[in-house]
Amino acid sequence: MSVKKILFFLKSMQFSFILLFLIIACCIAGSVIPQGETLGAYMRLYGEGPGSLIFGLGFGNIFECPLFVVLTALLSFNLVLCSISRFPSLLKRSRLLKEKNGHFPIGIYGSWITHLGILFLIIGFAAGRILSEEYTLYGIAGSTQPIEDTGMTLTIDSFDVDLRDDFTVEQYTAGITVTDQSGRKESGFASVNHPLNAFGYSFYQDSTGWASYVDIYKKDTLLGSDLLCVGEYTGTDEMPGLVCQLYNFYPDLATDADGKYYSRTPLLNNPSLLYAIYFNNRMIDMNMVKEGALIPVNEFSFAFRDPTEYTLLVIKRDPTISFVAAAALLILAGLFISFYIKPLEEKKYAGFN
Amino acid sequence: MLDSIERITFTATLILYFLGTVSYLIYGSTGKEKTARPGRLVTTAGVCFHLVSIITRGIHAGRLPLTNQFEFATSFACGIAIVFLIFTRIYHFDILGTFIVPVIFLVIGYAAMQSRDIHALMPALQSGWLGFHVSTAIIAYGAFGVAFGVAGAYLVKDRKDGASDASRTTASGAASRIPDKEVLDNIIYRAVALGFLFLTLCMITGAVWANRAWGSYWSWDPKETWSLITWFVYAIFLHLRLNKGMNGRKAAIFALIGFICVIFTYVGVNTLMSGLHSYK
Ligand code: HEM
Repeated sequence: MSVKKILFFLKSMQFSFILLFLIIACCIAGSVIPQGETLGAYMRLYGEGPGSLIFGLGFGNIFECPLFVVLTALLSFNLVLCSISRFPSLLKRSRLLKEKNGHFPIGIYGSWITHLGILFLIIGFAAGRILSEEYTLYGIAGSTQPIEDTGMTLTIDSFDVDLRDDFTVEQYTAGITVTDQSGRKESGFASVNHPLNAFGYSFYQDSTGWASYVDIYKKDTLLGSDLLCVGEYTGTDEMPGLVCQLYNFYPDLATDADGKYYSRTPLLNNPSLLYAIYFNNRMIDMNMVKEGALIPVNEFSFAFRDPTEYTLLVIKRDPTISFVAAAALLILAGLFISFYIKPLEEKKYAGFN
Repeated sequence: MLDSIERITFTATLILYFLGTVSYLIYGSTGKEKTARPGRLVTTAGVCFHLVSIITRGIHAGRLPLTNQFEFATSFACGIAIVFLIFTRIYHFDILGTFIVPVIFLVIGYAAMQSRDIHALMPALQSGWLGFHVSTAIIAYGAFGVAFGVAGAYLVKDRKDGASDASRTTASGAASRIPDKEVLDNIIYRAVALGFLFLTLCMITGAVWANRAWGSYWSWDPKETWSLITWFVYAIFLHLRLNKGMNGRKAAIFALIGFICVIFTYVGVNTLMSGLHSYK
């Protein structure tokens, strides 16, 4: 096959169709196969052979796997080639129409603008994957912590959960102060749908959960304290292998008709903690306790206190966002022009190269 | 009070669309003009009741009634019905109803099976962008629904034309009243173009909102992925159609597949897959 023929195929619409079908197939796979799981999870779900194949081919993260990236790159390449090759004839038609009708025939540029927008969107999206930063932090009111390697620190000044009369949540609001490397501070509130912007980063109120301090004693001596969110665990150097986990938390404990635990309200009316104790990875105890009650394990004991809600904040910076937004607007404008401003004589034009 | 107005008008809508479906189906199979007129009247009345039902629900809930499965399904049916009425006004042919009114009835039937409880909105849903996002989806889906119905008519016509060419008999029943394929092709194109523009707007407003709420405008959630699949399918339709004459049938098939994707994006993803959009 000659180079000319290959190029002709690469810019052809047949090639776009093939690529679009393959991309659609990937998208379907990506919506059916749970994404971001471990090899073990896929083997459990699909059996050993198929599970490891899915994982090995990168289908567990299909939208970033080499196949998908290559298909998207080929579609972009196809789009670039076809846009370039169509441009001279587009200009020629444009000139003819202008002579005929006396005004610039923007209508014939619609599909060209749409394609340019799609190209920019793909580029912007890919660049965003590489250039954007994202950090997740959680903490309770009064805590201060560094934001990974940004040189900034984040202080959670307050955290409020605004409840309605029926105890459904109206809003979560975190009051935060961000301090940069040179000590400058910016403060404000981040609530759902209203992120706070500080030092070029956006701070999103993402989610919340319960946390409690746990004090660890050896006989009567306090060895230390730790803050545990539900699901987290802690131990002591004095007895490696001994671990206490805050398994679940019920702010207003009650039991239903089947004897199952639940929380009647999200208010701290009857706070109760479900804990688990492990020794060398084996669970040796699990029970419900009240705040302050001692949980003895030989000469050690654990006691939970001051349960409180923590906030989970997502911190993001994506320098490509304006570019992506502009690309999206370009697509929209291109579509509008293609569909509604196309000159009459253009409607019959097939447009195949 | 508002609650009962909403319920009564919703039930009336359901009955009217059912009657519309029956008369349009009779019209489609017998060709009796007498049955098309009541179909048109009943469906128009259905849309009026439907709008009253949706508006009273909005007043009752104190917000846009576009936030759960029931509300979206009923608005979706209303979207198809309105776009259908507009298109029949413009193009003056009743046979469209034979293909579209049953779809409207099915969608509102699906709505009737959903819970109608009014819940207060979780914080992420309390955004002005939700209104734009869902209303653009309704227009897009309504337009695609119409394209689906007309594509059905196109394929019936295409088959009958083939058959009558072969046997030299005149087409009878529905096919004889279906306009020329050129006209149908043009209507499918107009409807898909409107739908495509609004689907694009819907995806963009959704992305802006997701970016406000979670700091990420696209996260490959199953619903996002399926709306992208739908977008690609209709993009294939638009390109196939550029080579007119050759691909009318193929394009019509893609208009059908596109709407199946729309329905799957809407019903299938909510029931079979979980994600940000599962309204839970
Ligand atoms: C998913 C991606 C794509 C979308 C959404 C898209 C969208 C569009 C739209 C809206 C039109 C105008 C249709 C009309 O006026 O009826 C169009 C036309 C066209 N597209 Fe695409 N396109 C895509 C990908 C491609 C690719 C990869 C090629 C490369 C070959 C291509 C080649 C063309 C050509 C040659 C036309 C005809 C142009 C004209 O006559 O004005 N498109 N496209």
